[in-house]
Amino acid sequence: MTDFWSVTLKLLEGLLTTGELFLLTVLFAVPLGLLICFGAMCRFTPLRMVVKTAVWIVRGSPLMLQILIVFYGPGLLFGLPLLPRFTAAVITFVINYACYFSEIFRGGIQSVPRGQYEAGQVLGLTRVQTFFHVVLLQVVKRIVPPMGNELITLVKDTALVRVIAVYEIIWMGESYIKKGLMWPLFYTAVFYLVANGLLTLALGRAEKKLDYFRA
Amino acid sequence: MKKLALVLAVVLSLCCFAACGKEAAPTATDGSSTTAASDVAAVQAKGKMVVGITDFAPMDYKDEGSDEWIGFDADMAKAFAEELGVEAEFIEINWDKKSMELETGAIDVVWNGMTYDDEVAAQMATGTPYCKNAQVVVVKAENNTDLSGGVDALKALSFVAENGSAGAKALEAEQIAYTAVDTQAKALMEVASGSADACVIDLLMAGAMVGEGTSYDNLKIAEGTELTSEEYVVGFRKGSDMVEAFNSFWKKAYDAGTVKATAEKYDVAQNIIPQ
Repeated sequence: MTDFWSVTLKLLEGLLTTGELFLLTVLFAVPLGLLICFGAMCRFTPLRMVVKTAVWIVRGSPLMLQILIVFYGPGLLFGLPLLPRFTAAVITFVINYACYFSEIFRGGIQSVPRGQYEAGQVLGLTRVQTFFHVVLLQVVKRIVPPMGNELITLVKDTALVRVIAVYEIIWMGESYIKKGLMWPLFYTAVFYLVANGLLTLALGRAEKKLDYFRA
Repeated sequence: MKKLALVLAVVLSLCCFAACGKEAAPTATDGSSTTAASDVAAVQAKGKMVVGITDFAPMDYKDEGSDEWIGFDADMAKAFAEELGVEAEFIEINWDKKSMELETGAIDVVWNGMTYDDEVAAQMATGTPYCKNAQVVVVKAENNTDLSGGVDALKALSFVAENGSAGAKALEAEQIAYTAVDTQAKALMEVASGSADACVIDLLMAGAMVGEGTSYDNLKIAEGTELTSEEYVVGFRKGSDMVEAFNSFWKKAYDAGTVKATAEKYDVAQNIIPQ
């Protein structure tokens, strides 16, 4: 029983790292994703091409590889000092998830009917005013389900950072194998399930709250 | 919309550059640059020697409830750091990334019961061998098959071994098929769970982890199955002057009896190589 509690505490320590990575990623990837989304919809072709290429590279290559490149790359290629492990992990996740988010945002924005913009124009709103006061709220409502998908994936993707020895929950679970305990590794699933369960509930509530107008 | 997007995009790219600059600045001061002429000087300037390890009793491990790394390697690494006038900082690394960790300056030394072989020789500079080791076959305790008959007896079993480890190479040399897993501990887990008949791991590790009174008391070392014998070394960056510093430290510590005393403390005295 003492075993069970000490393992649980150790795994919670790992979960804290997982949680920090998750929160920081969401915090920075959402605004960055919005910027990338604007870039991808921009009518200035060169910028649009650059952004789309960047999104293609980030979405088209494995996240694990990106983590290794961000952490070891500067040292291997240029002999530069390395970023702290956790910082490198956060940077990689922010860039990677911002690219996925940007496509969700683009889908949301482009799904708002043309008429909404026209209505804004008729009312004498500027393009920016129309976007923030008329369109954005409808976008938020529409993107909750796909964002929920992405956030749940993010919780599980955090496990990848153990390739650069960031001690998240799976690393902690695996460390017990050496001591002859195999169940802690599988026990980590409980923590993921609880975290994602709470996330699912929160997303459900958000969806209900946003149910203010039927589009 | 077009203007807004353009402005945002410019801000975004500026932010990226600014962020890069900011990230690089503070870390530059810790002097972990790999291009430094003298590694010893760089470590001393930094005030700490970062030691890359894995949890590997009796070389590097933590006592139950303690946060301090101990073990034969850990204690000697602390003594070496003291000799250099710095602190030893232990970082658990991914073992298969050790050369990248060294090369990029994420760690300064690999000191974790590392078996000397061609691969290690190609990846890093090594100090004088300090410890002897062998690869042994571990099977379930109830397995009474006589395996001392040589390779043919072994070929009948299904094997696992750590990917790229000395044990895996020993199996390859004998042309015995095996499944690669990512740590020696996972190899033990495979045997314990019955998904493989046997695994090949270090004698030192097997001695500490297998048999009665250990974590894996349902496993045993198969009699007469030493596959290869080998030597442990400490790894440094290529061309590093830490190698000479280590060699002279080790000779001195050996002559002073520190090595023997530490080895006895962790029950590895029979493995020490006389200097």
